[in-house]
Amino acid sequence: MEKVVVFVLGPDRPGIIATISKVLFAQGCNLEDVSQTILQSEFMGIFIVSMKIEGNEDAVLAALQAELEPSGLFVHLKPMEGSAIGEQTISESFIITTVGPDRPGLVAGITDVLARYKVNITNLKAVARGNRDGQNYVMIYEIDIPPATDYHALRTALLGRAQELGLDINLQHREIFEQIHRV
Amino acid sequence: MLTEREIILTLEMLRNENLDVRTVTLGISLFDCASHDIERFISNVRAKITRLAGTLVDICDEVGLKYGIPVVNKRISISPIAVVACVFAAEEMCKIAVALDDMAHSLRIDFIGGFSALVEKGFTKGDYALIEAIPEALAKTDRVCSSINAASTHAGINMDAVALMGRTIRRTAEITADRDGIGCAKLVVFANIPQDVPFMAGAYLGVGEPDAVINVGVSGPGVVKRAIDRARAADPSLDLGKLSETIKRTAFKVTRVGELIGRQVAVKLDVPFGVVDLSLAPTPNVGDSVGEIFQSLGLKSIGNPGSTAILAMLNDAVKKGGIFASSYVGGLSGAFIPVSEDLNIAEAARNGKLTIEKLEAMTSVCSVGLDMVAIPGDTSAETISGIIADEMAIGVINSKATAARLIPVPGKKAGERASFGGLLGEATIIDIPDDGGSAGFIKLGGRIPAPVQSFKN
Repeated sequence: MEKVVVFVLGPDRPGIIATISKVLFAQGCNLEDVSQTILQSEFMGIFIVSMKIEGNEDAVLAALQAELEPSGLFVHLKPMEGSAIGEQTISESFIITTVGPDRPGLVAGITDVLARYKVNITNLKAVARGNRDGQNYVMIYEIDIPPATDYHALRTALLGRAQELGLDINLQHREIFEQIHRV
Repeated sequence: MLTEREIILTLEMLRNENLDVRTVTLGISLFDCASHDIERFISNVRAKITRLAGTLVDICDEVGLKYGIPVVNKRISISPIAVVACVFAAEEMCKIAVALDDMAHSLRIDFIGGFSALVEKGFTKGDYALIEAIPEALAKTDRVCSSINAASTHAGINMDAVALMGRTIRRTAEITADRDGIGCAKLVVFANIPQDVPFMAGAYLGVGEPDAVINVGVSGPGVVKRAIDRARAADPSLDLGKLSETIKRTAFKVTRVGELIGRQVAVKLDVPFGVVDLSLAPTPNVGDSVGEIFQSLGLKSIGNPGSTAILAMLNDAVKKGGIFASSYVGGLSGAFIPVSEDLNIAEAARNGKLTIEKLEAMTSVCSVGLDMVAIPGDTSAETISGIIADEMAIGVINSKATAARLIPVPGKKAGERASFGGLLGEATIIDIPDDGGSAGFIKLGGRIPAPVQSFKN
């Protein structure tokens, strides 16, 4: 069965998911996976949809646009590439946290190192903590480190980069957080 | 996906609240090293310890780095030397201590515990030889720790051992006089000593333990204090029931850290994991103090009336949280109140807020006893024995571990300062009322019989 990925982006309001799912249902689509997030007032959703009717992409996109664009939401649809289940990897999950004053280039600086060491970012969040003066800007990267990566070299590179950026950085195996907080 | 809150709270515990693993202690049985020949014995011990512990420090550092949790101390506990080396005389016992110290240095081990004897019911030749060797052994070494179990709930109190230890402590202080009697900081007299303590000076590997085993001592008084402060700031109306719940939850988290690190080290060393010791072990650093917890719970200072009640609650809440967090809990598992090792407690002793009598009362509900208490150098051996006897009685009657680690600081009087360095910290010498009035009692000797275990009143 053909699968497509639908992206919806725009100002958040109640009813976005309801509208999308109603249209997809009406078009004979099955919603397989959904992830959504809201940053400040912006909504972003990714939907993986299996289509019962082959070659129906244009009709589905048109129906979604008709419902969503009037309220300022952008819709994009593309055929899905690759298999539904991602490649099985045995990489280990770590968490990077950085703390320090906010300034342009922090994410670029850190992710540049990660990319060089072939580390995949599975989740990234930035939060301002305490009084919102930007001094206590926390970034949380959930990452997968492949077995071939030299952990010590990666760690050293991250520490060096964090120092250049004026950040305190911690790199820790994910399990410690799960052990501490979850029963 | 982890929540921001989970990650940020963990980060806080690490960065600002001194969360660490105080010690990963590798227990090593030395029974298969026994020999009549001292050189052969030492070479057997060296071979076994080097084989099992050769990579301990590197593995602990590696695991610590992976999880972002420092392992502060890497230690070894061994079978009681008085048993495995029972054929040797005091002079040879001393040689063994020096060899153990040398092994600790070459393997970068912080402390090695087990220069020990279990004499609650009586002495063997080996026990006498070991105790006779203690002063010199502790003077010649800096990483060897010694413990003597002088009493138990099942055997009663060996008062001959108590008397002998009073004299041994005096002698140990005298021959390390140039370092404020530091030898005594590595010597502890116990009642009901557990077989799997990872903490010093009481760590040794009991006879019922496996050939090699990893035991872990967690830390975290700073984490507990901050959790209480946060809870009270968020809701000033919290009562002690709710606050003990906060302590319990925090102890759970701290214990999980210890268990995770310990298990990882055990897997890498290919030895079984033993226990997590839940004790809240302070260090002489700001924000890593058990004493500060008393202030967070409303007392002006540890030592004020109410201190024993707080300690009882703290000890119990820590156990409840820790026992839920780990299936294998052991060692001492409670709150430590080592005077010199805790800035806040040392301060209370200096201000006269904390007296020896109050400390003793508090030890009836805490996990260890009179710990790292600096006393005047001229305190008589009989008075020291009297204090030990009282401490033993508290442990024996209450079926719990208690201990006395007293340091008579040579040439110094109450109110003066003694400094031991590193994790051992520094302390103001506490006043001991000594009119020689215990001597008659201590001279009687013999064994105080084991107490009845019912009719508890």
